[in-house]
Amino acid sequence: MGNPWIAFLLVPLVKIIVILLVVILMAAYLSYFERKILAYMQIRIGPNRVGPRGWLQPIADALKLFVKEDIVPSRAEKFVYMIAPALITAPALVVFSVIPFGADTTFFGLLKQPMPPYLTDINIGILFVLGVSSVGVYGVILGGWSSNNKFSLMGGMRSAAQLVSYEVPMGFSVVAVLLMAGSLSMVKIVEAQKQAGVWFVFPGIVAFFIYIVCGVAETNRNPFDLPEAESELVAGFHTEYSGMKWAFYFLAEYANMVLISSVATVLFLGGWLRPFPNAAALAFLDVIPPFIWFAAKVGFFLFCYIWFRGTFPRYRFDQLMALGWKVLLPVSLANLLVVGLGVLLMGGPK
Amino acid sequence: MSTLQATRPFPDSEEMEISFGPQHPATHGVLRVMVKLDGERIIDAKPIIGYLHRGTEKIFERETYNGTIPHTDRMDYTAAATNNQALVGAVEKMMGVTVPPRAAYIRMVLAELQRIASHIIWLGTHALDIGAQTPFFYTFQEREIILDLYEEYCGARLTLNCMRVGGQPFNLPEGWTDRCRAFVDQLPARIAEWERLLTNNRIWKLRTIGVGVISAANAVEWGLTGPPLRGSGVKWDIRKVFPYDRYDEVDFEIPIGANGDTYDRYLVRMEEMRQSVRIVQQCLAKLPDGPVMAKVPKVIKPPKGEIYFSVEGPKGELGFYVVSDGSTNPYRLRVRPACFINLQVLPELVRGHLVADMIAVIGTLDIVLGEIDR
Amino acid sequence: MSLWGFLTSVFQVDLLQGLSVTGKFLFHRKATIQYPEVTLVPKDRFRGMFGFSEERCIVCHNCAKACPIDIIHIADHFEEVEVDGKKKKKKVLDRYDIDVKRCMFCGLCEEACPTEPVAIWLTTKSYETAAYERNEQLYFDKERLQSWEGVKPYPGVVPPNEGQMPNDPSGALSPKPEEQKR
Repeated sequence: MGNPWIAFLLVPLVKIIVILLVVILMAAYLSYFERKILAYMQIRIGPNRVGPRGWLQPIADALKLFVKEDIVPSRAEKFVYMIAPALITAPALVVFSVIPFGADTTFFGLLKQPMPPYLTDINIGILFVLGVSSVGVYGVILGGWSSNNKFSLMGGMRSAAQLVSYEVPMGFSVVAVLLMAGSLSMVKIVEAQKQAGVWFVFPGIVAFFIYIVCGVAETNRNPFDLPEAESELVAGFHTEYSGMKWAFYFLAEYANMVLISSVATVLFLGGWLRPFPNAAALAFLDVIPPFIWFAAKVGFFLFCYIWFRGTFPRYRFDQLMALGWKVLLPVSLANLLVVGLGVLLMGGPK
Repeated sequence: MSTLQATRPFPDSEEMEISFGPQHPATHGVLRVMVKLDGERIIDAKPIIGYLHRGTEKIFERETYNGTIPHTDRMDYTAAATNNQALVGAVEKMMGVTVPPRAAYIRMVLAELQRIASHIIWLGTHALDIGAQTPFFYTFQEREIILDLYEEYCGARLTLNCMRVGGQPFNLPEGWTDRCRAFVDQLPARIAEWERLLTNNRIWKLRTIGVGVISAANAVEWGLTGPPLRGSGVKWDIRKVFPYDRYDEVDFEIPIGANGDTYDRYLVRMEEMRQSVRIVQQCLAKLPDGPVMAKVPKVIKPPKGEIYFSVEGPKGELGFYVVSDGSTNPYRLRVRPACFINLQVLPELVRGHLVADMIAVIGTLDIVLGEIDR
Repeated sequence: MSLWGFLTSVFQVDLLQGLSVTGKFLFHRKATIQYPEVTLVPKDRFRGMFGFSEERCIVCHNCAKACPIDIIHIADHFEEVEVDGKKKKKKVLDRYDIDVKRCMFCGLCEEACPTEPVAIWLTTKSYETAAYERNEQLYFDKERLQSWEGVKPYPGVVPPNEGQMPNDPSGALSPKPEEQKR
């Protein structure tokens, strides 16, 4: 009752609900867009029967998974089997609380005062993102182990090894951005790019590529999707899962894709900033609201994910690990050195 | 607190035998492979076949010679025309019949189109197994045009039944040569597109170079034929060595590989497609007029005796050994299946590799279970 | 590795080439045909469902002998008929059954038929013979072969008992009845 309660409790609650709904819907419709775009690249039309032009396909899929029978293998470790999907989905969703979707806005004049359209901005934002998203590895390993199936176990182990190995170069490439930004907070990183007048992708292009490659590996997507490929002997950690639990794994994978894309946008593409935010010549682009810029950039990354899936063959597992440890790690370290030197010579972080 | 039963997660250097079952998306048909693994390395792989055995050779014994031709379509069902060509060639050789030149040229065109179609299936499925999903669709789109050409000629797309003992059953329909020519003229550009997706791709090269290597001497000893043999550097093609059907009147080259690995076999097959285009263009340009059927009796009765005749199919040397006792039905019709003999070398190729490579090797051998099991 | 090789490798030129191919195809015309609303036209020589004409059949059994899997079952008997005042023996068809579920649509029966035009043909452009039960619905006797009960004809195609001719299932090549009246 009264203003303090609204500000403290109601507003965040509404934001949480909105963000969760949007992220879950995005993950579901990302599967629709993936099917359509992949199909268009393959000179065919994707789903087009369910709803106008197939727009209701994800809803139909969700409904089907909802009413599917809940099967638990007889000798599986029941409790762990049940919570493993949650262990991967929950962190993927929780991390969205610190991602800044746009600048302070009045939502086209609906509000009296401008309000940040993200849930919160903690001063260790990026550390929170990296840390919490790593908890998702538990879901993978425990899912593979609790299924009591040696193929699931092998698949889970491989997937977990892949996730953990690619965290390291990803971390180093993020550190390169932090050197340039001078802060761990997500909002401050975006503002640093505004101050610098240029997105961090331009000075940090090597870090950008490393981050993209590691991001694709982190989400188990093609060309790094050996652990879950159908044409492999080892069928992957989610073999024994069906129905709603499988839907959770599916949701977590797509939510992770959206997450990696959002973080890449914030770190490298300037978050909600327009290209070259301080250049007066491009001021006419300011008519586009900031969160549209954000959405467009995230959309671009998601399109790239789908594009990669449609084009590249798969890495074999040992080649995948070799790429992570023998190529990306040294390159990201070297990049760190160079960026550090550059920042020092330019007189400190911007 | 309940505990997890059984399987220790890391059996210390214990051999694991896995059945890579007959129903699996990557085994091009119902092939079963018993794989002995040490961790992830393959110690041995034993292919087990027979899941598609239909008793074709026994069926041959109760058919008339022209009636066996539809059955041969169903052996290597991706390359029906060359199966037909092998059988009718064998019976014609036995009877001493020479087909008219127009029929021979039509047979060459059909066989080379079939080679392209079969290699298209190989490329699409091989790439799909290795992870690239899209070449499958691009290549099959071109294959649709080939199948349309076949449909115009003989009425069927896959199980063609397009040749008879003594010549061809039909003449070419109106405008067929123009459509065929239009198709093969634009095909090299399509092949170049597919190569852009794969040939220089670093991931593709990592997955295929050095995988499934067999030396030239070993390849000859194992009796390999077709692209597995030519990929190892042996220049052997039945069309050049024992020419049939006027292949000696057309100009084409035989691509060979250098190292005998999967990448070389891939390059060999891509180049074979281009050479097939060359052959078809020459045949269409030189197509003579005349009858399409030689003078053969209505009921085919080859003289008593035995004969072996083989053609260069897309998979390798496909041969027929015909034993005739002078009657209208063959006494014995034994098939020399190219894929069966090529598959035997699988354990040799995958020993020491990882499981993911076995999928690549099965794809590169280009096996069709219809021919292996008959 | 040469400098060019190093540069193309670092700048991922080969991967970008692959991406450009799929990116280009994103805008190509799609190859999908929305069956069953749209169907592809089979070619003229397409070997589809059987057409049979009892009046043209001379009961020579050539088709049954040519069939590689013996699915054509023919039974006949002789009848005495009056032709030009003389008594002649004529073969009458009792039974002409085709076990279509076993047919491999090779077309050897059509090739063997000696009449002009042939009495058994496959060039009917129709392929939709799907049924829910195979022993009764996919075994066609003389009447069903001509009336095509249980077969969905390709649009524009008539059943044999309404005058379908081989190689002309939609009647495009034959003169229209109205024109003949004059």
